[in-house]
Amino acid sequence: MAVPGLPREGGAQSQHTLRANPEGRASAAFARPWTSRSSCPPTGLAPARFLCILRHLIQQYFLLFRWQVLRYLQRHPLLATLNVATVALGVALFLAIQIANQSANRAFEASVDVVAGKAQLEVNAPAGNLPDNLLPEIAHQPGIAAATPIVRGFVTLPQFPGEYLDLLGIDVFTNEAFRTFQLTDFSAETFDLQQWLRGPRVVALSEGFAQQHQLHAGDEITVQSNGTTKRLTIGFLLRSKDSAVAPDTHFAAIDIGWAQELLGRSGTLDSISLRLTKGADPKTVVAALRKIVPPDATVAAPAQRGEEIGKMLAGFQLNLAAMSLVSLLVGMFLVYNTIEASVVRRRSEIGILRSLGATRAEVRWLFLGEAAVLGLIGIGAGMVGGYFLARALVGTVAETISSLYVLIHVQQLEIAPWVWISSFILGLVSVLGAAWLPAQSAAAADPVQALHGGLRIERATRLSRGWIFCGAVSLLLAAVLSWLALNTGPPWLGFGAAFFVLAGFSLAAPELIARFSRLLRSHLHRRIEPLLAAVNLGRALLRNSITIASLAAAVAMTVGVAVMVFSFRQTVSTWIDQTLIADLFVGPAANEIAGPNSFMPPEAIQFLERNAAVEAIDTFRALALPFRDQTISVAVVRGSNRRNLRFLHGRNDEIMPRFYGEQCVLVSESFARRFHLAAGDTMELPTPSGRAAFPIAGVFYNYTNDQGLLFLSEKNFRRLWHDERVNSVAVYLKKEASPQSVADEFRQRFSHRGEFSVYSNRALRTRIFEIFDQTFAVTYVLRTIAIVVAVVGIFLGLTTLVAERAHEIGVLRSIGASAGQVQRLLLWESGMIGLLASALGMAAGLCLALVLTGVINRAFFGWTIQLAFPWASLAWTPLWIVAAAIVAGWIPAWRAGRLDVADAIRSE
Amino acid sequence: MRKAFLIWLLAIAPAAGAEWKIAEPGLRYEFPRDHHVHEEFKTEWWYFTGNLTNASGGLFGYELTFFRQGVRSPAERAGTTSRFLVGDLKFAHFAVTDAAGRRFFFEQKTSRGSFGEAGFGESDRLAWIDSWDLKMNPDGSFDLAADMSGADLRLHLAPLKAPVVHGTKGISEKAAGEGHASYYYSITRLRTSGQLRLRDVRFAVTGESWFDHEWATNQLAAGQAGWNWVSAQFDDGSELMLYEMRLTNGAIDPVSSGTFIRADGSSIALTSADFQMTPATFWRSKTTKASYPIGWKIAVPREQLDFAIHPVLKDQELILSPIIYWEGAFNLEGTRAGKPISGRGYIELTGYATPLQELNR
Repeated sequence: MAVPGLPREGGAQSQHTLRANPEGRASAAFARPWTSRSSCPPTGLAPARFLCILRHLIQQYFLLFRWQVLRYLQRHPLLATLNVATVALGVALFLAIQIANQSANRAFEASVDVVAGKAQLEVNAPAGNLPDNLLPEIAHQPGIAAATPIVRGFVTLPQFPGEYLDLLGIDVFTNEAFRTFQLTDFSAETFDLQQWLRGPRVVALSEGFAQQHQLHAGDEITVQSNGTTKRLTIGFLLRSKDSAVAPDTHFAAIDIGWAQELLGRSGTLDSISLRLTKGADPKTVVAALRKIVPPDATVAAPAQRGEEIGKMLAGFQLNLAAMSLVSLLVGMFLVYNTIEASVVRRRSEIGILRSLGATRAEVRWLFLGEAAVLGLIGIGAGMVGGYFLARALVGTVAETISSLYVLIHVQQLEIAPWVWISSFILGLVSVLGAAWLPAQSAAAADPVQALHGGLRIERATRLSRGWIFCGAVSLLLAAVLSWLALNTGPPWLGFGAAFFVLAGFSLAAPELIARFSRLLRSHLHRRIEPLLAAVNLGRALLRNSITIASLAAAVAMTVGVAVMVFSFRQTVSTWIDQTLIADLFVGPAANEIAGPNSFMPPEAIQFLERNAAVEAIDTFRALALPFRDQTISVAVVRGSNRRNLRFLHGRNDEIMPRFYGEQCVLVSESFARRFHLAAGDTMELPTPSGRAAFPIAGVFYNYTNDQGLLFLSEKNFRRLWHDERVNSVAVYLKKEASPQSVADEFRQRFSHRGEFSVYSNRALRTRIFEIFDQTFAVTYVLRTIAIVVAVVGIFLGLTTLVAERAHEIGVLRSIGASAGQVQRLLLWESGMIGLLASALGMAAGLCLALVLTGVINRAFFGWTIQLAFPWASLAWTPLWIVAAAIVAGWIPAWRAGRLDVADAIRSE
Repeated sequence: MRKAFLIWLLAIAPAAGAEWKIAEPGLRYEFPRDHHVHEEFKTEWWYFTGNLTNASGGLFGYELTFFRQGVRSPAERAGTTSRFLVGDLKFAHFAVTDAAGRRFFFEQKTSRGSFGEAGFGESDRLAWIDSWDLKMNPDGSFDLAADMSGADLRLHLAPLKAPVVHGTKGISEKAAGEGHASYYYSITRLRTSGQLRLRDVRFAVTGESWFDHEWATNQLAAGQAGWNWVSAQFDDGSELMLYEMRLTNGAIDPVSSGTFIRADGSSIALTSADFQMTPATFWRSKTTKASYPIGWKIAVPREQLDFAIHPVLKDQELILSPIIYWEGAFNLEGTRAGKPISGRGYIELTGYATPLQELNR
């Protein structure tokens, strides 16, 4: 072989070059940069010479780059497009989740800004029961420059289903210094104080809300709160003054007096905002205030609430971010594949370049440059796409946060510059990292061998024990990290465990392929196509391993998430079956939209209690109390021995009587984990009657909130808090009674305008699962995208495979193989890749599911999920993966069938 | 009259009238009963101004006013339980002029009085808002107290004359048409003594004050741009109150009126035909760019009275939200029946900085 052959497929570009230009001109074109380097003055100032050489080097690089890379990409638009698309998807997902998370956090902070205004300190009553007569005393404390009271409540608007107003009762006489918004009449810049104060119930709406619902000055709107219907007159507009983020349009303001009337809150406040005199020491002021506010009130800077919410959401948001990275990870495999393919195809060109004097570094940078071009286009597209994806996702993320943690409404996307920068860097680093190995191998190629066509196929067919050893170490590391995440923290080590599970199984790919190949070779003697396919599979071991590993990672991710969500759903379902046993659930309709902030009127409770069909009722009151400088969710329940909790340890019939009879509490599993508490420990809680000690009588399973829940009996609550308000009621009916007729009776009497939502047991279950599915909606989106990326991966992998083996295919054809046989051979190969990938992926996925349910969920959210497997859908997974692989292999196979035999084996 | 413009903003609201009483002719004033609050009327104020001197002859003016602005009439107040839903708003203005030191201090306080920190009492405490306080003593004298960052003031005021009712048939007309009137009386001369602190210096002061008390519902009408109000205490023991209501078209409302009080306490009601007020000197505020006629020539031919007003300080502008006005102490000199006469007083100029039309919107 005197002249190195240039296979058509792989070396098409350079062949074209050589055909179009006489060899000499081509060489001259390559050579020019090298010669021009010497055109720099050999002597003279060192920096000038250095710059001259640098300039030439750069020119030379771009010349090479244009010839070698851009033309190549131009020739393979599909390959280039797919790469760009996967990088774009990965970056877009990461960016979108970052933006959605950040926007949600900022939306909450903006709402704190509106409520607390420019307050430096805030006195907050967790149960919304701060006596309003405290105000003068607080306002006259030394160090206090200004104090303004706030009453806050949610009302729903039956005229606009699903809409609510976050009503702020403000005192215009004292809140001037705090306000971050302006109150004006609709027409002008003035404010009719008289109208504002006289009422009755004249409200200021945000401009956005008024516009959205076409409301004008003087219009009346019906609102519902605490199960009563009232009318508000629209009189004013609330315009944001200097807030960087437009506050939620649901904010509305009303005079504090009317707010107390409307919300049935006369005599109490939610908070008092404070500004300090110049030079006052906040710590001294806080200490002084603590002495006069009720024991359960908090005194703190309002910014702390934003931080606290930030912490609360951190786990949820980190999980989303981690899942968004999976696509990028799969994308990295693909980039690796493409660059590797490009290296393989252009081995002879590399040889030519090297023999013409290009250095190893230049060759390396050529391929890294190729990755960078694909990467940069992908990152650019990903950033644009990420922005739009964020707009689509932010609503879902916000809804999930609202139903699980805290009511937020995202008004606009919040995009900090660092989000753009970090996704750019992350994208570029991933792409270059993925391209590094192939680029390195191209650079390391011996020019003589590279020009020798026969050796272009991978040589490393021998299986190294190192892979399987590394795989084992990875799995071991995964186990260690899992243990650490669960026992010492931090919880994010769980992601490390997940990563090492994927890595461990990926490293097992070569061994698996080799064994599979051997197995088939020893059994398939007659069927030539599958046999050849099996042989080929075992030969390009590293490359096939990577194709299979990348697909397996995507499958694993799909399977892992599916198992996790299924287990979670099953666990919740079992839990609901055992605990949700009342027949009817009744609460003010507002609670469903705006969280448990509205109360049941006593007459409605009495009606249910005295109804002949009712056996017993249970009451529920939600409360947020400070505990160890954090806010905890408290549920006050009446119980009446009906509540059926499942405890981690101990029997229901032993623990519940204690709960109802003694001063003690029950805590959920997440709660216990969050605060490192166990049954038998004693908690000290602030009550309006002073701090009180509550032993923990039991720890129960609960899946409503990852922050955990504390149960307090109504008896104890009433005694210590002197508060009888109730958010909702669960009704247990007598055996023969019909839930429907009791519900109808109640609706007729109290809820003819929809003031209350009345759920039957069944309807509530449906609603719970609606919320559950919504919570995982973003997860589903992420999973789907990962699968799409994986299928693209199969396609890319097989295209590369065909390209690499053009020569071999040519030989096959020339010794008599038909085009159909070649095609079948390739389809067999892709089918086998699909099969191996799904086998490996399933195994990895099940293992990943263990990590997701047992480690990540436990470490982050603190709850136990009973592992359950969606066998039916799992059984389908290999089938559709193999099908997808075969479909993806179709185009490359078809191409292989059409290969010009003469061209392909020209070199022989 | 005074300060009704302040209330203008609030009082112009149309729906208010029905539930409130209006000032109708024929009221028999009774004291001390009528020193107290009249809750069935929408607006009311107690208004003290005075010229004081200290031992070294320094001249000081003061203004302390308590306003009540009804929000909901007594009939409307039933059925609510929130302490923040009050029947009326309380606000007060306090200003001190230091003529020699060329200093002017002023401050406004507003409050709902939800916690009793501001209010109007049936007992001897007539009006208060935080530490600002107006008390009536059993002997008919008054005690005033107010403080702000630059100054504080504690005064004892003993009436030298009986209250004088302005207008005719017990009402002071403020615009044409029924109901556009107020109940308005003054104690035109009170012997005053007490303590004044300016910055860090506290000293005794003595002098004479003027007390106005006025209550009404919807007394003003549209088309009124502002007014000029004068109270003068002459050294022959007589006093004069005049006001001019300026209309938006530049004319003076013919209902403008005044009262002349003789040394013996008898009074004569003056109509707009009985007096002329001519601006003589102007002062332009650097802050608000408003131009105020602060010096005047005044003639009451009926009483053979001719005098000129010279403010003790040019800058006596109260820049408050939402109302900006000029109210200041002055010296006067002129002739009465050919004989030289001098005295002191207070003049109030409204509607110059903020056109009332603007405010009315």
